[in-house]
Amino acid sequence: MAITSAICTSFKQELLVGTHNFTNSSGNSFKLALYTSSATLGAGTTAYVTTGQATGTNYTAGGSALTNVTPTTSSTTAYCDFADLTFSNATVTARGCLIYNDTNSDKAVCAIDFGGDKTSTAGDFTVVFPTADASNAIIRLA
Amino acid sequence: MNMSVESDFVLGTVSVSTTEYKGHDPEFWATQATKKICDISEDAPEHIKQQARAFQNQVYTVILYTIKNAIKSQNTTNANLLEKQGHEDMAKILREL
Repeated sequence: MAITSAICTSFKQELLVGTHNFTNSSGNSFKLALYTSSATLGAGTTAYVTTGQATGTNYTAGGSALTNVTPTTSSTTAYCDFADLTFSNATVTARGCLIYNDTNSDKAVCAIDFGGDKTSTAGDFTVVFPTADASNAIIRLA
Repeated sequence: MNMSVESDFVLGTVSVSTTEYKGHDPEFWATQATKKICDISEDAPEHIKQQARAFQNQVYTVILYTIKNAIKSQNTTNANLLEKQGHEDMAKILREL
């Protein structure tokens, strides 16, 4: 059991058939769910799963909705971004997360390993997304 | 002649920031906002980096000042709401923050 950072293989196929729309407001709704080290997540994950999900005060199963930033391009790279997500006043420990499409059958987008257990105690648990550019953005198609 | 062009999906690196028995302070949020507004490429020439750093500092200062003012305003609003409901003691605590 482990969490491996990866863009889910099923997501790549689903992009080619138009399943996912990251446009702000008018696009699909994406969520981020937190998981403990007992979860198994990676390229082979196809949809949101409950096994191994984190539990704690002010963390709801399924996670929280992300705010999409409409995809754009820079040179020959297309990329998308999300606003940073905070679970406020939360007591929770997580080793990683899964981003999934809440609009379309909870289909998985990517799994992310935090590199170690992260814990908030009656405080903020903030997932900080990288700078939205061709070199750093969370999902890039180069 | 057959030609193929390599293209690849790349996953960026997220970071996690947590707190204990408090929320993030205004400096944390000002730093995050500044990074979103003005990021400096590691490949940029040194004189460009220097200009960008100066701009970043300016943006950071403005954002931090604004966040702190917003917090003060919100505290004032909340203190008045509490006072109207008869919670003068809690309103006093908020005003003194």
